[in-house]
Amino acid sequence: MKKIALAVSLALAAGGVAAQEKTIKIAGFGAKTGAVRSFGINSEAALLAAADVINKQGGVRLADGSKAKMVVEFYDDRCTAEEGISIIRRVHGTDAIVAVGPTCSNVAEPLFGILQKKVDDKGDSGLQMPVFTDVAVKGGLAKISEWAFRNVPSEMTMYSSLFYWLKSKYPNAQSVYGGVEEDFAHSRASWYAVMKDRAEANGYKVLGNSKWLLNDSNFATQVREMKSANADIVAIAAHPFTTCGVLKEMQRQGVKPKVLVGLTSSSSMETLQGCAKQAEGMIIPTSFAPVTKEGKFAAETTAKFKGAADLHSMAAWENMFILKQVIESEKVSGAKGELQADRRKIRDGLAKLKETKGLLGVTKRTDDREADKPYLFVQANKGEWKVLHDPL
Amino acid sequence: MLDFLQAVSDGVLFGATYALIGIGFTLVFGVMHKLNLSYAAASIGGAYCGLLVLKVAAGAPAWLVFFGAFLAGGAIGWLVYLTCFHFIPLSNPLATLMSTVGMLLLIDEIIVHVTNGMPQNYPAMFDDVMLRAGEFTLRGDLLLVFAICVLCMIGLLALLYRTKLGLATRAVSQQPVAAQLCGIRVARVNAMTFVVTGLLGGIAGAMIGAAVGALSPLLTAPLTVKGLIVTVIGGLGSVPGAILAGLLVGGFENVFQLYRGVTERDLYVMLLLFVFLVFRPGGIFAPKSGRH
Repeated sequence: MKKIALAVSLALAAGGVAAQEKTIKIAGFGAKTGAVRSFGINSEAALLAAADVINKQGGVRLADGSKAKMVVEFYDDRCTAEEGISIIRRVHGTDAIVAVGPTCSNVAEPLFGILQKKVDDKGDSGLQMPVFTDVAVKGGLAKISEWAFRNVPSEMTMYSSLFYWLKSKYPNAQSVYGGVEEDFAHSRASWYAVMKDRAEANGYKVLGNSKWLLNDSNFATQVREMKSANADIVAIAAHPFTTCGVLKEMQRQGVKPKVLVGLTSSSSMETLQGCAKQAEGMIIPTSFAPVTKEGKFAAETTAKFKGAADLHSMAAWENMFILKQVIESEKVSGAKGELQADRRKIRDGLAKLKETKGLLGVTKRTDDREADKPYLFVQANKGEWKVLHDPL
Repeated sequence: MLDFLQAVSDGVLFGATYALIGIGFTLVFGVMHKLNLSYAAASIGGAYCGLLVLKVAAGAPAWLVFFGAFLAGGAIGWLVYLTCFHFIPLSNPLATLMSTVGMLLLIDEIIVHVTNGMPQNYPAMFDDVMLRAGEFTLRGDLLLVFAICVLCMIGLLALLYRTKLGLATRAVSQQPVAAQLCGIRVARVNAMTFVVTGLLGGIAGAMIGAAVGALSPLLTAPLTVKGLIVTVIGGLGSVPGAILAGLLVGGFENVFQLYRGVTERDLYVMLLLFVFLVFRPGGIFAPKSGRH
């Protein structure tokens, strides 16, 4: 009887050792409630899918040569700054070595503000936690803290290239009119600081812009202004719901510009779900389309985790592989007592990167911790985003 | 001048949807003296349910979707009554108010979870029709929305003033104790009020979806605010007041937007509300003081 008990105990102990394999925790966070819930769902699916692929390939190699599995724990920040800040404080108290997120620029901006501004500044009690953003697009945010890194496309570069290309493709188009979601930080910044600026820089005459709010439902007056301007190109810096409202009103009022340009974030399925017919022909620069072998694989794998592949979620996918590379190159230990040292290694490793491998090609890393990602121009075509032009 | 006329006509036509939402708020308040803050969310919820018709029968006509929204709105209205009013002590005004706030958030989040927050294309009728008189235009689909809203209002007024249920509703609204003593089942009348306002809400939600061309959970919060403004300006409990105030708010909103821009528009709508609260707190159809 004693022998049986001993055997059972040994078997259980052996099982316990096997179960206690090393893990490296990555905290993901983004909006999983509210109107931008799909962003969080897609990011989470992409993070889980990438972790699954990495783990099936044996996991990530640690400083002592052992292998660890990558584990993702995802938090819902509801696209609100206070929840985002609360999450990053909570994550700082866990054994996560890095955080990937958030979804919204209005969360990223204040959240980066509570991180330590400059590393090794003993007078700054800000959080020392590396944050590697996948979605929030508003330009230049990483400069807020040396612990903040982003793998989001540069709208400035993309729209500059787009208007340059439109100039040769549509030589008769001379004027641009804008439509902007005035109360949303990213949309505002995209129109005033990027689209308008880049259109003028490329020799277009900007005839004006119409404004509306994120929750608006009646766009008759704005589209009438648009119609009076009679511009060759209409550029809409708004999220899918109001983009669709405006496009439908444009159809009713018979506004048919030569070219329709959309916001980077709208090159996802939300726009086509809301108004595929009216969005037909819309051109958007984007940092992802499933055109490469790696891109197709990432999209298919993410779909198995019930997420859609778009420029945002695929940035999350890329982040996981970049982090694997940094963990291995910086010899992260994964030991409990070394948590803060490991976070610092991740930060330093990310800061050292000059380029990374992305799904569309090589992404260059800038000195202010932003990404210069490859991009494509896609066009809405029969309910799908199809690649229109590869400018690179 | 043309811009002004155009802004007013667009706003008034769209204001018909505000009027329907306002009626829902005002009817419940008139009968039960309680605010149902989940009404706009329930209306949009009904409109979303209407889209199920397209899931079952792809390519179904828009009117069938509207009818689905109408029925779903009634069912949601009854559920709201059960969960937020029937089992909660009506003597505590805060309890029912907070339960409807909770219901608003619940409905909103259910919509977000079911649709992942993605805007849903919503069918419309006559959306390719535009009536023109020179530069002046009127949207065919908004005219239909306006006509349906007017029909709903006429139907509601007929229900209130030409049927036994309407008589009972008005009796409960004016003297609930006396009505009960006369044999009217107050709880049943309250439930029916929610069903009727829910039916109206379903139509209102569908008309808003049709007018915008898409549905999004982003619609619920602004519609709740607009509905409350319409209810206060029209006079709490006054159905004709809600109708007139809905059209008024829609028209003013567009005029303010035309002259002061979209960022100041809501500021002036709120000022309009304050003007009414200060100078005519009983709303447009405030009852004369004294016994009546």
